[in-house]
Amino acid sequence: MLTEKIKLTLCLLAVLLISTMAFGQNRLTGRVINEKGEGLPSVTITAKGTNVNTLTDSSGNFGFNLPGGVRSIVISSVGFTDQEITIEGRMELSVVLREAAQSLNDVVVIGYGTVRRKDVTGAVANIASKEFSSGVINNPMQQIQGKVAGLVITQPGGDPNQNVVIRLRGQTSLTGGQTPLIVLDGIPLDDPNQLSSIPPADIASYDVLKDVSATAIYGARGANGVIIVNTRKGSAGRTQVEYNGYVGVDKVAGNFGLLNAAEWKKASQDAGVDAATIAALDHGANTDWLKAITRNAVSHSHNVGISGGSGGFNYRASANYLNQEGLVINSGKEQLGLRFIGQQKALDNKLDINVSLAYTQNNRKYVDYNMFDYVNTTPPTYPVYNPNGSYYAYSGYDQQNPVARQMLQTNNGKDYLTQLFARIDYELVKSLKVGVLGSISHFNLQTKFFQPTLPGVGNLNNANQTNGNVDSKKGDIHINYTTEFGKHSIGLTGVYEYNQFVNNSFSAAGQGFLVEDLGGDFLGGGNPAYNVINSYKDQYTLISFLGRATYNYDQRYYLTVSVRRDGSSKFGVNNRWGNFPSASAAWRLKNESFLSDVDWLNELKLNIGYGVVGNQDAIGPYNTLLTLAGGTRYYDPSNSTYPYPQSYSPNQNANPDLRWEQRTGRNIGVEFSMFKNRFGGSINAFNDKTDRLLFTYAVPVPPFFVPTILANVGTLTNKGLEIQLNGNIISTKDFSWSANGQITFVKTKVTGLSGSYRGTPIASDMVPVGYALGRGYQDNPITYLKVGYTPYVFNLAKYAGVGDTIASSSNSNQLYYTKDEKTTPNISDAQKNYYDPTPDFTYGLNNTFSYKEWTLNFFLRGVYGQKLFDNYNNVTSNVSRLPGNNITKEGLTNHIRGSQTPSDFWLRNASYLRLDNLTLAYTFKKLKGLQNLRVYVTGTNLFVLTPYKGMDPEIKTGNSNQSYIDLNVYGSAFYPRSRSAILGVNVSFK
Amino acid sequence: MYKMICLLAASVLMHSCTKLDQNVYSVVPNQNFWNTPEQIAAGVAPAYASLTNIPDGDYHDLAEIPGDDMIVPARGADWLAAGQWIELWQHKWTATTAQVQAAWSDIYSGIGKINFILSIVNNLNPAPSNLSNINAELKVLRATYYYWAMDLYGNIPLVTSFETDASKLTNTARKDVFTFIEKELKDNIQLVSADVSKSTYGRMTRYGGFCTLAKLYLNAQTYTGAARWQDAADACDSVILSGKYSLQSNYFDNFAVSNDNSVENIFVVPFDRNYISGNNFQMETMHYNNDQNYGVAGGGWNGYCTNAEFYSNFDTSSVYVVKGNNTYRTYNDARAGQFIIGQQYAEAATYPPNTNVLSSSTDASLKIKDAQTGMDLSFYPDFDLISSPDAKFRLAGLRSVKYFPERGVAYNQSNDMVIYRLADVYLMRAEAAVRGGTATSKDLGYVNTIRERAYSGDKTHDWTMGDLTLGNLYKERGRELAWENFRRQDAIRFGTFGQARKPQKDADADDHWQIFPIPANQHTANPKLVQNPGYSPF
Repeated sequence: MLTEKIKLTLCLLAVLLISTMAFGQNRLTGRVINEKGEGLPSVTITAKGTNVNTLTDSSGNFGFNLPGGVRSIVISSVGFTDQEITIEGRMELSVVLREAAQSLNDVVVIGYGTVRRKDVTGAVANIASKEFSSGVINNPMQQIQGKVAGLVITQPGGDPNQNVVIRLRGQTSLTGGQTPLIVLDGIPLDDPNQLSSIPPADIASYDVLKDVSATAIYGARGANGVIIVNTRKGSAGRTQVEYNGYVGVDKVAGNFGLLNAAEWKKASQDAGVDAATIAALDHGANTDWLKAITRNAVSHSHNVGISGGSGGFNYRASANYLNQEGLVINSGKEQLGLRFIGQQKALDNKLDINVSLAYTQNNRKYVDYNMFDYVNTTPPTYPVYNPNGSYYAYSGYDQQNPVARQMLQTNNGKDYLTQLFARIDYELVKSLKVGVLGSISHFNLQTKFFQPTLPGVGNLNNANQTNGNVDSKKGDIHINYTTEFGKHSIGLTGVYEYNQFVNNSFSAAGQGFLVEDLGGDFLGGGNPAYNVINSYKDQYTLISFLGRATYNYDQRYYLTVSVRRDGSSKFGVNNRWGNFPSASAAWRLKNESFLSDVDWLNELKLNIGYGVVGNQDAIGPYNTLLTLAGGTRYYDPSNSTYPYPQSYSPNQNANPDLRWEQRTGRNIGVEFSMFKNRFGGSINAFNDKTDRLLFTYAVPVPPFFVPTILANVGTLTNKGLEIQLNGNIISTKDFSWSANGQITFVKTKVTGLSGSYRGTPIASDMVPVGYALGRGYQDNPITYLKVGYTPYVFNLAKYAGVGDTIASSSNSNQLYYTKDEKTTPNISDAQKNYYDPTPDFTYGLNNTFSYKEWTLNFFLRGVYGQKLFDNYNNVTSNVSRLPGNNITKEGLTNHIRGSQTPSDFWLRNASYLRLDNLTLAYTFKKLKGLQNLRVYVTGTNLFVLTPYKGMDPEIKTGNSNQSYIDLNVYGSAFYPRSRSAILGVNVSFK
Repeated sequence: MYKMICLLAASVLMHSCTKLDQNVYSVVPNQNFWNTPEQIAAGVAPAYASLTNIPDGDYHDLAEIPGDDMIVPARGADWLAAGQWIELWQHKWTATTAQVQAAWSDIYSGIGKINFILSIVNNLNPAPSNLSNINAELKVLRATYYYWAMDLYGNIPLVTSFETDASKLTNTARKDVFTFIEKELKDNIQLVSADVSKSTYGRMTRYGGFCTLAKLYLNAQTYTGAARWQDAADACDSVILSGKYSLQSNYFDNFAVSNDNSVENIFVVPFDRNYISGNNFQMETMHYNNDQNYGVAGGGWNGYCTNAEFYSNFDTSSVYVVKGNNTYRTYNDARAGQFIIGQQYAEAATYPPNTNVLSSSTDASLKIKDAQTGMDLSFYPDFDLISSPDAKFRLAGLRSVKYFPERGVAYNQSNDMVIYRLADVYLMRAEAAVRGGTATSKDLGYVNTIRERAYSGDKTHDWTMGDLTLGNLYKERGRELAWENFRRQDAIRFGTFGQARKPQKDADADDHWQIFPIPANQHTANPKLVQNPGYSPF
């Protein structure tokens, strides 16, 4: 009985005690959001000094009872900087959690698999959407331009239809493509330029595989580096709808500095042109021809994404529309895209099915690049229009009305990209998964061109259409095994892969159409004698076996070994198959006992890697075969019905020994993070050597039947250092400042261009590659491939100023230094020096300031030590062009007269620092019905600091023979760069 | 059994998994070609493709400019082109001069293709029924390519088999190349078709072969030091006496847009606006604004021209007719009409260019202006400089309208271009006879036939035996064959090659300029090649 009572009393006491305790506790509720205002699920809220904690729900809401005496809570989540908040009596909190500068648990895609960032053993950079630049984006790569050490992205001018140039760790080849392999959700793109068809808003992150040990898993296609693009995926839960859109205006940044009509007249008079001639060319106008061909261009972009799912199913679907007017009249791009990605898990999550469907269509209006020549040749005294509104008609050498040409011509393209992908994985037994993958990519480009009889030109009207397809099929069978025992962790991956690539195209052209209104839509309507039809097709197969093993001991010592065996039908019969091994190791010092007490250090990892990769881009599908191709037609008048039969001629010296270029790379790096992950970074140094470099060598004809042969002979080296740093410098409740930056040093050197082909020595040196171009230039090489120098090294005469008179031997008053420091007007007698035009380093610096709901971001990027040959001013800044051609203001002060010559005077410092992007954003919080609303304004290319005298120091380099030559003539024109302002919105609701 | 099946399945799988399918499209593997007579004809045709670069390519530049009938002055920046055109005129070229390098490639690409084709067609099974004709025709054509190469570069690599080991290849002395060409021609010339008809148009015939042989012998003294005048005359006779050719009654019909039916042309390179490109003769010489009278679409390139010294060889006396405001001239010697001189007027020029040339007008609005300078477009022959930035200098030199342009066509004219024609053979015959001391009235007759054709049948301009001198023949060749790719060779043979010339060409210090240097890029391709005497050794 007593015991009963005692029990009851105790129970009552307990209830009392508990209720008293409950009364003494605080119920704390709140929501955790990220910087975009999106609720964060599964965030841990811990009452400081206790073990009491809770997790946020799927919308980021939480609520729990705080033990008495707790004054602050700690909020932590994987990938975010821990935050400690003093409660100060509040019952409800809204917490913005900032993503950690670098999260060790981020998933990094490394090709045929993923690892967590902390387990990466090679040089791999990951960049997520929060770090993307906004603005009028032509190509998704612009989102990360300047942000990844070692990755140099160049946007040549503002043409919405031109592709960016992407280079990872320097120049890798002399004849082949150098663009990194772009892998979209696990599938390599057939052509890296197809990336421009991926809506930027659909992209979640990029993983950049930089060092050879990381890219070796892509074997014969990995030598240029690999960029893995990951699109946004769905997640199960309530349906979420997002909208991202902007509207923007582009205007021309910079100008050529051409003379206006009054300046042209005065300059012509000063140059001694007689009054009658000036009068004859003065048609009474004052035309700014650059303005005449350009406009303020309006762009708008809309992207709607819907995601959701339930049970084992999730999906994301998005639609995208972009309408971008070109800066140049009658040019632009319209893009429409649809994308669906879905995942179904079944059979106790053992079966995992992924499907993705994507379709993008671009309608393009191209620019006729000849127009830019006419802007610079036409005197400003010519009007654009006659008084009656018709185009003012004129024609001369490289001179006609550019406005008429661009407006009257039809110059369109439509491309359609369809990508289908499915993958099925099944967990056979625990830790062992097998799967298959299949994908199809179909790219179709149709172009249409019509040139009417242009006013004053008197050409025959002409039209053509082309239709080209790039198709690929890919399939793989893969197997993954992971296991852990004790402190050992092992992962194994094996893949068999089959790729088939088919290119085909056809074109038709006609001339002399009776009805111009039909444009190019009645190609058969012209003079049948001028009809031309053509078609082309090629095909090749790539088969690969690859395996990778990863091992770590106690998350301290890591080793990754991979090998890939690639066979390609492109390769010569003697070298069909190649092996591409790699090994890399990492040591996480932080996990060693001697560093475990160092609280301020969160991560310290050393890694080292070695690998072998290939580049097969320079090899055509049939380069190894003795083939006959259609040659010129020949005349056989005895055949009255068919007097111009097709001839067939050997089109190449077949090289059955051809194989991939081989890049052998070594990388050493360190990665660190400190002060609660607020500061971090990585430093990588690499030393790569490419041998069996493909180059087109001169061979004697005969016995060879064409004068060149593609052979694996040369060598080059790439050496560099990359530093990437990031940090949350200030992080308080209301205000934060984070910054990240990178600096890249890369030097490429040609180390050999000789060897032998089947016993015949073949060698090249001092191979001319880039030429000074323009009226009067013919065969003036200025850049070379020279052993011991960087590719595209300049070899230029040393300029010594101008003389008093025009020397008759050179037609010019320019002088040059001879070897013995005397001056000469003859450039052939001048001392010539080598100049390395490549940058000493490239860099980018990003700063983000947040104050409450406001975020200000600015991104600076630059290049230091780059030199460009200013071919534009070389040709245009010369008073001797007057009066028939216009000149620049620079031409009025440089005192150069007579013929232009390519001397080092025109090799100009083209270092620059550009304010690439400035974004001010406001995030609305707690709007009813909305999960997130962010409104922003962005200005791009707001200023550029540069000593360079040309229009813009950022030109297409590294991808053509004319690298480092800034040209605006003969169709190689520089499309003006834009300065843009956009107003954008990101909104999402559930 | 189970093991067997597994093994079999595995091996099938492995085989299909690693089969690197290669389907060849758009080009044909060599072994799949050469199956029908038509395919063989189409496979042999590339032997001729390189010819499209001969009459109006870099060969043309080398064969004319170092002589005296063609000059490309640098007009400001235009045509300065690193000084290469000046080098050709002044005899200052080097192993890297663009035309010196390119002409070699053009000629040897023909030889390279012929060697390949010969090796293929002679190994076909069954052999083509016309194999001996194919062999003979290709060997005579190859001998002609070698004759051009030897004429320009002297000591050249001689490769007659596709299987030759490239690593052992070096120069052959000029006289040995001569011997090879002579033997090759003599061995094969009688096996080549003597048919002169549509079915051999543009092809090497027996008579084309005799023309090459005549050129070889006529210049034998230059090539070997030993004259072969009688052999040259005999080779000419083989053409003349065949009776297959006669002079075309109108000189310009040999060069017109439709010149297929010329009875005078012996060996031509067919061109066509759409199908066979490379005839840019009129673009090279016409001014940008000549579109207004000659209809060269988009204007010409304002380059090649002739100066006063050469033009003075022509009889420019004319008959003038006034129609309204305009005065038209018709040249007495039709050949003077191949060059246009003086003010140009905006009225469609008529064919043939020797008649009814609008030479002056009282209607000032008809005057064509140079659009760039605003100056009257008026060509003048007398200039003292090879290079000048002067606005007026843009109009220096007379322009040729020999291959009269088709209106509205810019580059890629359809006029077939002439390699050999009967008038040249007549003049060679006469010259060989004069030089050999065997000239008769027959030779005089050949020359007078040409002169009568030029003077519209007027015999008052006929020569006498006394006029039949080497000096006169040199001038007559200049008038008749201007810009037809013989002038450098003729100048060497007539001893004028090394002389000083206006504008700005000094006398050659020695004779090494009579052959061009081995191109530097050929030395890169084959380091065993030795440079010709007088030039910087490799």
